[in-house]
Amino acid sequence: MVASTFVDAFRFMPNHSSLLLEKTGETAELAFAALAIGLVIALPLGLWLGHRHRGLLLALGASSLGRALPSVVLIGLGIGILGVGFWNNTVALVVLAIPPILTNTYFAVEGVDRDAVEAARGMGLTEAQILTRVELPLGLPLLLAGLRIAAVFVIATATIAGIFGGGGLGDIMARQITYGLGGVFAAALWVAGLALLTAFALALAQRAASRRMAPRA
Amino acid sequence: MSGWRVAGGGGPVIPNFGQPSACLKHNGWFCTDWLTKHWGDTLQPALIQHIQLTLIAVGIGFGIAFLLALVGFRWRVFDAPLGGFADLLYAIPSLALFQLLVPLTGLTVTTVEIALVSYTLFILYRNIIAGLRAVPDDVLESARGMGLTRLQTFLRVELPLAAPAILAGLRIATVATISIATVAAFLIQDGLGAPIFDAIETPDLFKTELLVTGGLAILLALVADALLAAAQRTLTPWNRLR
Amino acid sequence: MFRKHTRRAAKAAFAISFGVALLIGLAACGGGGSKQTTSSSTSSAAGPKPAITMGTKNFAEEFILGQLYGQALAAKGFKVSYKNDIGSSEVIDTALKSGKINVYPEYTGVIALDLAKVKAPKSAAATYQAAQSFEQQKRGAQLLKPTPFYDSDTFTLLASNARKDGLKTMSDLSKLKSFSYAALPECDQRITCILGMKQIYHLKNITFVPLGKISVYTLLDQHKTFGGDGFSTDPLQLDPKYTTLVDDKHIFGFQNVAPVVKQSLLKGANGTLLENTLNAVSAKLTLPAMQAMNKAYYVDKATPKQIAHGFLAANGLLK
Repeated sequence: MVASTFVDAFRFMPNHSSLLLEKTGETAELAFAALAIGLVIALPLGLWLGHRHRGLLLALGASSLGRALPSVVLIGLGIGILGVGFWNNTVALVVLAIPPILTNTYFAVEGVDRDAVEAARGMGLTEAQILTRVELPLGLPLLLAGLRIAAVFVIATATIAGIFGGGGLGDIMARQITYGLGGVFAAALWVAGLALLTAFALALAQRAASRRMAPRA
Repeated sequence: MSGWRVAGGGGPVIPNFGQPSACLKHNGWFCTDWLTKHWGDTLQPALIQHIQLTLIAVGIGFGIAFLLALVGFRWRVFDAPLGGFADLLYAIPSLALFQLLVPLTGLTVTTVEIALVSYTLFILYRNIIAGLRAVPDDVLESARGMGLTRLQTFLRVELPLAAPAILAGLRIATVATISIATVAAFLIQDGLGAPIFDAIETPDLFKTELLVTGGLAILLALVADALLAAAQRTLTPWNRLR
Repeated sequence: MFRKHTRRAAKAAFAISFGVALLIGLAACGGGGSKQTTSSSTSSAAGPKPAITMGTKNFAEEFILGQLYGQALAAKGFKVSYKNDIGSSEVIDTALKSGKINVYPEYTGVIALDLAKVKAPKSAAATYQAAQSFEQQKRGAQLLKPTPFYDSDTFTLLASNARKDGLKTMSDLSKLKSFSYAALPECDQRITCILGMKQIYHLKNITFVPLGKISVYTLLDQHKTFGGDGFSTDPLQLDPKYTTLVDDKHIFGFQNVAPVVKQSLLKGANGTLLENTLNAVSAKLTLPAMQAMNKAYYVDKATPKQIAHGFLAANGLLK
């Protein structure tokens, strides 16, 4: 039974390649929009708090709270407040993206070697300069790790929006009656593929950042 | 049921099913009359089912993950394939995994449990192994120096030191399970997901049911998180920040 | 190096977790399986009664019907378990075929046109006959007496849009260059739905909006679709904000409800009791009755169980 579904999935893919590409595009659009907005909100906040070594409770609490919010509930609230469309799903995903980005950014900056920071301060750099020239570069690997976690999570969760008319690969997964179990499995594989590709790209960025840091640190 | 209305001669008696309050008529966000009226027949059963789903999934997942982690930890050669298998399970979106299991185990709670267990396996396996591996080598050497056997070292040194990491994993796995279990309502009528799905499917969205049931799910997750965090703190009094 | 109490606490914690996990695992294996509601009641004569597994499709009226028929049977001493929200007709038909359920309420037109796929019968009686032949010959099942009420799909749209475009019948839709229609996912494969609009009404450029767990009325209100598949017994059909187009080519068929029952259940004295019980319930299901029950669900937010219980009790069907 599992084997036949596997075969069906791989027969589905070439027959429906344009459909799968279109749906993947929809999921990617939703996920990346949410990640971008989440970054804009959480990154500066995490950087600032981490630099000041304040708000540990906020960073930890955000992480705990973020994990406790079921995506189904957030999407539902989004529909109830904003109506059906692109923005209700995007806002729901933004809420889910913020905690991992915030927490990891905070710890990335907060955990930078204090000696390096003190040395920079001694050299007369302003607080902003310390953040951008010392803490951010040194914390970049951990920050990118957090972004990678958030990205995989948001992409996987974006599929839930498909149950509620949000389109994307989740739409295929929610309509077994139209696409068959092979189609559902194919869509699942493409979601995993999209997530892995994104994670890989960010892992490359993470390695490049670490390599750049090595000689100086 | 009060208020009877006979529809036509010989037709059925249509009872009065009650009148909705003004709050419900306008689809308010928090109609207390609906809440009190349906706590017993809708909310409480769903909450209990959800707790059951979570406990079973985390309990079985922890058992399996612990055994697998012991294997992967003791015989490193198994770690990569076991870890890879757990990763693979996690990569499949919950919506798809639920449906893929239906031909095997039907539209039942068992199907949902198997999927939930797979997700906890990923989180717990990694955390247990990481916790066991994090024990510093010099501590292990001291233990061996004191004359402890391999088994004694494991039970008296490695496990207790790994406990915080394991509990951290348990905490994350429990909260994640509570969250994913809401998606199960796509297949079965069990758990808090069912009233949430019902609320969203109602014309113009049944706001009170969504907010109250969603709030319950979030509350459940936060309470579980807090309880396990407290357990973590009692086991590691010197490391309160984790 | 390590405080003794920490070691012991850790050991205790692990022992307890293992014990709990084991117990839960055993409990799950022992009492697990699908969540089922069974009703206990007094048993009557004529030997052991067969177990009823009542299935229902994926919308509210089906849940109510399932409860109506199920509770009536339970009152007569049958052991009834429910499998709710199984899916569309195609899916629940498979469940009946494979024996996962043995009774479910179905619409005669759906059986005749979408499952049996016969040419559209010209009357409600002919539809019932076609559906009955299908169930008897192909499914080893039988339709009991049909209900007075019918509930068909419709082409529902905002009254303002109907006025603006001058639409009164579904044939008028050919005036539009294109339009969208929202319905459950199985719609685009059904002759009683989009397939019929394309083949029988010869309408082109229809955008199908599959309903994903969101009400068609929500989508209409938010202008996410032009037309949608409201059911004719929905309480919002009575709201002047919405209107329906006349189905002049009758693609939506005749849709009275009849319980589909596996023939094995109808044997002997218990079979007669089952038949009479369900027929007695069906006889009381008039259009006003169903509309009132749908309203109780959607507007008064009662549960299907409560609604069915209230109706059956009021009509003396729970004795």
